[in-house]
Amino acid sequence: MIRRTILAAGALAALFALAPPPARAADGAAPAPLEVTLAPDAANPPAPRMGDRLTYHAVIRNPSPTAEASGVVAWLTILRVDAGHEQAIDLEDWSANKALTIPALGPGGSARSDWSLRLIAPGTYRVLVSAATRDAPVPAIGTGAIFSIAPKPVVESARVLPVALGVPAALALLLVARLFAGRRGAAPEA
Amino acid sequence: MSPAFAIARREGGELLTSPRGLAWLLAAAFAFTGFALLLVGSTQLGLLDNAQVVYDMAGMTIALGALLTAVMGVDAVAGDRERGALLPLLATAAPRRAILLGKLGGQALAWLAMVALALPYLWAVGSTGQNLGAALVGLVLLGTPVALAIGAGAMALGARLRSARAALLSALIGLMLVASPLAIGPSLRQSALGRGFDAVNPFSGAVNALDAMVIDGQALAAQGWHLALVFGWLALAYGLALRALHAPRRPGEEIVS
Amino acid sequence: MSLSHTTSLDPPDDRPRTGSDGAAPPLAIEGLSVRRGSRRVLADVHLHVARGEVCGLLGPNGAGKTTTMAVALGLLAPEAGRVRLFGADPLTAPDALRARIGLMPEQDGLTGWMTAADYLQYWAVLQGRPIGAARAAALIEEVGLAEAPKRMPAARYSQGMRRRLAVARALVAEPELLILDEPTNGLDPRGRLRLLGLLRHLARSRGVAVLLCTHLIEDVERIADRATVIVAGRTVAEGSLAKLRGHAAGRRFRLALGGPAPSLPADSAALLAIRHAGAEEALVELAPGVAPETVWRALLFAGWPIREVRAEQAGLEALYLSLTGAHDAAGDRP
Repeated sequence: MIRRTILAAGALAALFALAPPPARAADGAAPAPLEVTLAPDAANPPAPRMGDRLTYHAVIRNPSPTAEASGVVAWLTILRVDAGHEQAIDLEDWSANKALTIPALGPGGSARSDWSLRLIAPGTYRVLVSAATRDAPVPAIGTGAIFSIAPKPVVESARVLPVALGVPAALALLLVARLFAGRRGAAPEA
Repeated sequence: MSPAFAIARREGGELLTSPRGLAWLLAAAFAFTGFALLLVGSTQLGLLDNAQVVYDMAGMTIALGALLTAVMGVDAVAGDRERGALLPLLATAAPRRAILLGKLGGQALAWLAMVALALPYLWAVGSTGQNLGAALVGLVLLGTPVALAIGAGAMALGARLRSARAALLSALIGLMLVASPLAIGPSLRQSALGRGFDAVNPFSGAVNALDAMVIDGQALAAQGWHLALVFGWLALAYGLALRALHAPRRPGEEIVS
Repeated sequence: MSLSHTTSLDPPDDRPRTGSDGAAPPLAIEGLSVRRGSRRVLADVHLHVARGEVCGLLGPNGAGKTTTMAVALGLLAPEAGRVRLFGADPLTAPDALRARIGLMPEQDGLTGWMTAADYLQYWAVLQGRPIGAARAAALIEEVGLAEAPKRMPAARYSQGMRRRLAVARALVAEPELLILDEPTNGLDPRGRLRLLGLLRHLARSRGVAVLLCTHLIEDVERIADRATVIVAGRTVAEGSLAKLRGHAAGRRFRLALGGPAPSLPADSAALLAIRHAGAEEALVELAPGVAPETVWRALLFAGWPIREVRAEQAGLEALYLSLTGAHDAAGDRP
């Protein structure tokens, strides 16, 4: 996950700082906006719970019949849409697939990408995959259906407490027994 | 029974049977307990998923295990020297390699005791346990070389420094530095220096691999670099410790002072 | 006062270079010099231990006895000199050679949580000569630890018991060379005599070479055949006890005086050392090689009211005090 983030950041920097100017349409007009479609994987659980994984398949298409789309960046966004809790989610713990770059999409060409999510927190969410190029700064967005994540007790006190209290108690007893056994020996010679 | 095995049994046995060793394990158990109780009582931590919790617990196990092997490593050479136990040991017919392997074996037993101690906690906080297997595999495969590398490095340090106290202090400071990625987290990689440190640090290698395996669900096979990094450090630390315990070569060079 | 360094009191052919069977002697050190950093801690050490012989290594604290032992065991690389352990260089000798040595350092360094029997069996494995419970029990009996509870860990032993266990550890592999550093420290008189008796028995009946490093002259006088005296990193005397005693004879004199003794001119320091000077009596010690008549003439010339001269009883202690006192007075270091 971390390495991919670094790689993605590096790729973005390279893309915008070092990449050659993208090819334009023959008439010099701005290229047509990209199209993004997003579909859930058929194996996704219908009623996901915390800890489950969801996979989405995105298709990024260049609809222009003539112009190549260069330097395509696509990225994942997760929005929480519960009333009163609306926010964009930090992807750090949710997905290792945060962004990808496509050097060039030929006229009419498309690219497919998979996005895997680990469901960290309960609530209602929407997944978006956006795509943009340097010359088409308004991103194209593909949206997935709203889904709800059911809560799950990740730490059950009924399981934790006996261990958390029992293990030190057992060790302490062992230590006391060891100390007692050590003192039981006959007194050393004077 | 080989000398290495006998020494390992003695060193490990001391930890598992002596009050001092049991006190160490009890202190580690209190640390695990504190973390586990924090999870139960904290809403924020309670929302983390199993994997994150298991990852944290595994990282904590490596940190505590490395602390234990660092102390044992210093004690195995510098402590033995101050107690007068190193001189007769080096004067036996046991080859230096066997002595070193025996002492490392004792540290390995201590590390395994730490893993065994962590197991019930990992099970308790791992809830459904869907990443428990990956965590255990990562803990053993990556934590073991890290803990032993720290232990071997501490032995080399103990052999070089004349005072056990100075060696212990140096080893603990070194451990804090090496284990800092565990506390600093991803923000370590925000600078070139941090990224460089992260790339070569054995602790980073272990926790990054655990992160990838436990949180991201990556396969162990994808952790080749991390495995190579931690085992490389183990080989280097072993070489340094062996050299430090070897027969003196230059005039005035000595093992026991 | 400065005494010239005495390299040996023996003629060269008196040193035990080989055993009676022609094999290399257990320990032979010639012209050993050791430097630690900028400080030279040993300057010219000679030491020889033959089979079946108890050799006392005497010297004041800090003289270099322990350093000599470390070099002999291959734990410290010398600057110069020749060290041979059973004919081999200890720095390059195979590990198995060390099984022929039993070491009892000044610090016991025992494993406190082990019982004596477990510990001896553990140590035998390290020496490459595993022993069973019966042999361990026999060793425990031999050093006088049989009365200790069998399950008592060594950490609960008294100092004397720990010393005995350290002796048993040194004997566990039936060594041919025993190196003991202050072995009687912490032992009660009975334990001390028992240990000294055991060492003498090992040398006489089993042919073990014993190097007894100590500052207790009476221990050496009791059991040693030879002695080496190291002062300030140099061997200042080496030879059989009889020869050393003989050399000491006639070196210390008690003078009856008719009044307070005046101070001596500086150049007389080469002739003698004054150990004690009172109104009616003085104890003087002659420098090696100086004829007594020369000294008396010098003292009378300086105005000493000498009425009577009596020779002190000869002994190893007299020689030791003479040699170490000379260096103390000179503040001599290599």
